[in-house]
Amino acid sequence: MTGLLTDTLFWLTVTLGVFEAFDTLSRRCGRHPLLHPVLWSTPVLIGLLAATGTPYATYSAATFPISFLLGPAVVGLAVPVWQQRERIARMAVPIALALGAGAVTSIVCGAGIVWLFGAPVEIIASIAPRATTTPVAMAIAGQLGGVPALAASVVLISGVLGAMIATPLLNLLALRDYRTRGFALGVSSHGIGAARAFQVDATAGAFASLGMALNAIATASLLSILAILL
Amino acid sequence: MLPAIFLLLACQLAGEAIHRLTGLALPGSVIGMVLLLGWLALVRRETPRLVAVTGWLTAHLAVMFVPAAVGLIDEGPVLSRYGAALLSATLVSTVMTIVVTALVFRWALVRFVAVDPDAPSPTAKQGSSEEAAR
Repeated sequence: MTGLLTDTLFWLTVTLGVFEAFDTLSRRCGRHPLLHPVLWSTPVLIGLLAATGTPYATYSAATFPISFLLGPAVVGLAVPVWQQRERIARMAVPIALALGAGAVTSIVCGAGIVWLFGAPVEIIASIAPRATTTPVAMAIAGQLGGVPALAASVVLISGVLGAMIATPLLNLLALRDYRTRGFALGVSSHGIGAARAFQVDATAGAFASLGMALNAIATASLLSILAILL
Repeated sequence: MLPAIFLLLACQLAGEAIHRLTGLALPGSVIGMVLLLGWLALVRRETPRLVAVTGWLTAHLAVMFVPAAVGLIDEGPVLSRYGAALLSATLVSTVMTIVVTALVFRWALVRFVAVDPDAPSPTAKQGSSEEAAR
């Protein structure tokens, strides 16, 4: 019986079950950003690991089938970018300038502030890829000597935060164009931001996915160059 | 479905190989994304299967970060020491990134895109934008 707690089948089922429960709750409440399923499944699963005395290494190995899918999912982000190629080509200059400005702002603000707090390099490397989608952020953080789990949670918080504040913030700036609104949200808050943008407007959603995919490449490239220079 | 899954895995594998051979700090999956983009540009057509598989993956992206996020269980000391720094940095960085990206995008649209067929007509969108603004 105790062997079950170290079993792939056990933790895979529990993880999907817990996630599904919160996902259903989130759907029922109109996808409210504060009810993001990852935000709630994570502490519940941490509680279950603590209660059963299961080490994270065991859990991580057991849930490998879920985390493995991140890689192909990132590769697949090429498809929405490809489908929008004509629009991208037409707006190449604004897209490139806004993307560059956004990626640099995100890295400098995030890494700069924790650096001012006197944080060591593992913390700085964990927050630098903050604006990218989780699998990319985790891979970059790991590469730069950061902590992937920390990067994953910073990314998650960025997404939820962006989804919550984008609408009032952009209204304040009187930015009404849905292409601009969506792109900014995608660059700053990746998939969660894109999901929010799709709820508001289809064009905003398309530009948000574009912003997310392009920023994955931009941030990864910028930080790689930085890593070589430092 | 199988050809589409194979294509995604093959791109990721090639990306991983490039990553290891060149020592490039770009993750294998991101290189794989660029390779898939190159492949699509080469064959000039995305199959409905590929669109379906990537659509499924993207739709279920959220659950894939759960195992990693649970890894926070081992980061207690780091979090109690730098949690406040991480939280304030995340907040400021998210707000600043949205503002800077949006402002640069708007400025560059006006400055560089002379003929803009995608531009929303200001009269048609008025009502719905107020609605969606909430």
